[in-house]
Amino acid sequence: MTDSKEAMSPSTDYTAQEIIVVAGAKVLEDDKIVFVGTGLPMVASLLAKRTHAPGLIPVFEAGAVGPPLRHGLPTSVGDSKTFTGASYVKGLNAAFELTQRGFADFGFIGGAEVDMFGNLNSTMIGDFPDGYQKPKVRLPGSGGASDMAASCERTILIVPHDKKKFNRKLNYITSPGHLDGTPDARYKAGMQGKGPYRLISTKGIFDFDEKTRRMRILYTFPGETIESIQAETGFELLVAPNVSEFAVPTVEEIRLIREEIDPAGVFVKRAAK
Amino acid sequence: MENSEKMFWTGLSPDEAREALVNKDKSMRDKQMTLKEAVSRFIKDGDNIGIGGFVNIRQPIAITHEMVRHGFKDLTLSFQSAGMAPDILGGAMMVRPEHFSIKRIELAYWAHEAYGLSPVWRYLAERALVEFEDWSNYNMSARFKAGAMGLPFIPTRGPLGGDIVKTSRTKVMDCPFTGRRIALLPASNPNVAILHVQAADMYGNCIIRGTDATCPELAMASAHTIVTCEQLVSHELVVSQPKDVMIPFAAVDAVVKVPFGAYPGACRRHYYFNGDHIREFHSLVAPVCKGGSMDGLKAWYDKHIFGVKEFEDYIEMFQSRQLIADQAAESFNCERLA
Repeated sequence: MTDSKEAMSPSTDYTAQEIIVVAGAKVLEDDKIVFVGTGLPMVASLLAKRTHAPGLIPVFEAGAVGPPLRHGLPTSVGDSKTFTGASYVKGLNAAFELTQRGFADFGFIGGAEVDMFGNLNSTMIGDFPDGYQKPKVRLPGSGGASDMAASCERTILIVPHDKKKFNRKLNYITSPGHLDGTPDARYKAGMQGKGPYRLISTKGIFDFDEKTRRMRILYTFPGETIESIQAETGFELLVAPNVSEFAVPTVEEIRLIREEIDPAGVFVKRAAK
Repeated sequence: MENSEKMFWTGLSPDEAREALVNKDKSMRDKQMTLKEAVSRFIKDGDNIGIGGFVNIRQPIAITHEMVRHGFKDLTLSFQSAGMAPDILGGAMMVRPEHFSIKRIELAYWAHEAYGLSPVWRYLAERALVEFEDWSNYNMSARFKAGAMGLPFIPTRGPLGGDIVKTSRTKVMDCPFTGRRIALLPASNPNVAILHVQAADMYGNCIIRGTDATCPELAMASAHTIVTCEQLVSHELVVSQPKDVMIPFAAVDAVVKVPFGAYPGACRRHYYFNGDHIREFHSLVAPVCKGGSMDGLKAWYDKHIFGVKEFEDYIEMFQSRQLIADQAAESFNCERLA
């Protein structure tokens, strides 16, 4: 066990995925319910539970509510590991009904591309609508993402930063965010919840401007600047009044991810040595 | 009125689904039979097949193997999230399209979470070999639920605001009570539900552990239901905790005991994923997507499905050491003594 001073010191070898996980964990609040999708959101939720949010309650879309997750990282949102010790165990309808009802404070969603209003695509790349039945690249499809987008109170988006992924216009809107950014657009569309709250990329953390609902730089990750982030974004980003640099993950946070939460590297890939 | 003229049903219409159930033999009789008999008796060409489980959990893999051996044409597949079950069916269409074909897929997600995308889905979609209709997990689950409730549609928030509304049969209307926009989704009443569960009695009363997925809704919505189970147990044991019965006998037409019936996917209390086998299957499909040879995939089907009599022969090809390890991993997940 490292001593506490060293544990709290900045990590010198964290990866892009690891800082996403640390940022995702920090956005979550204690004693809230978080609807957890597959992949990095699971790791982020577990890290939050191990650090500042021990009372965080994960809900998995296959129907498990509040499992202690003592048996390692689930490889699926319907994994047996999400059911052992859970407080409430049902199926998909129950999980989405409780979300639609308003029990999910946070939801994590991802996608292959995102626009400035936090709309996401995880369905297809190609010519839409004419080429819908013959996409250039067929992606898996919504899964539960579009339901979380329509019904979680606040959503946290995770998208690796890349000019090809941050686009002015999406090929297909799978999971709607702030739609076209007009006031009350979500309400008028019949949706619930406040929509995209934060976006975490490999370059920083973003929020959405209250007036225009456009994506706005809130924190730059170490090594990035407003300019370097803008250069890799396919639309104009807004900049929050007091942008600051996000703290380098601590040795202890990285140790928790590597040694305790995802030791097999199921979702957080190991850096090449 | 204009709306209803444009509407079409891909399984049974709500009225047909009602009629099918009215005419069904609901007696509490012994429904045990072989998988071969169940598949040939209840599935026909052109049917809409509702696939149970969730991604690679409790998917009806043994049933899909038997369907491939039998051969069917122009099936519609309906599921929320699935992995190996549509992979097995879709892969069969890749290697022997004259023997097995899928016409249409109604789905929320076809991939493998930690085990990656499905190259089978990419192959079929990107070459326009099947038609498809995207929904979300809740959309498909709610559609099965509407079918199970005997209703023609169900209101949800799910697809509002996005393009799923444009590429599906969703109707968006103003709610007559609140005046706000609401989505209406058509019920799904498949011809046949294919399900794998932990335990059943010979009448078809089913016990499910871990996620229910949408198996109870699917069984209640479909005209026929084929169930495979890890354990066939006495009726007395099943009804000793009657609230544990997730699917009632009257909804079930065939009960077949098939240990490892969801393998290489997972089945709570019985076995965890065999991710290596899932990846191995994909490694044979991926080159075909890039225009390479179909030989490796053909050889896989010949060895594991066409060349064997039944699913048990496929399971026998795995080393017992592997099967025991997958069982042990699941015991650990369940935190229980043997």
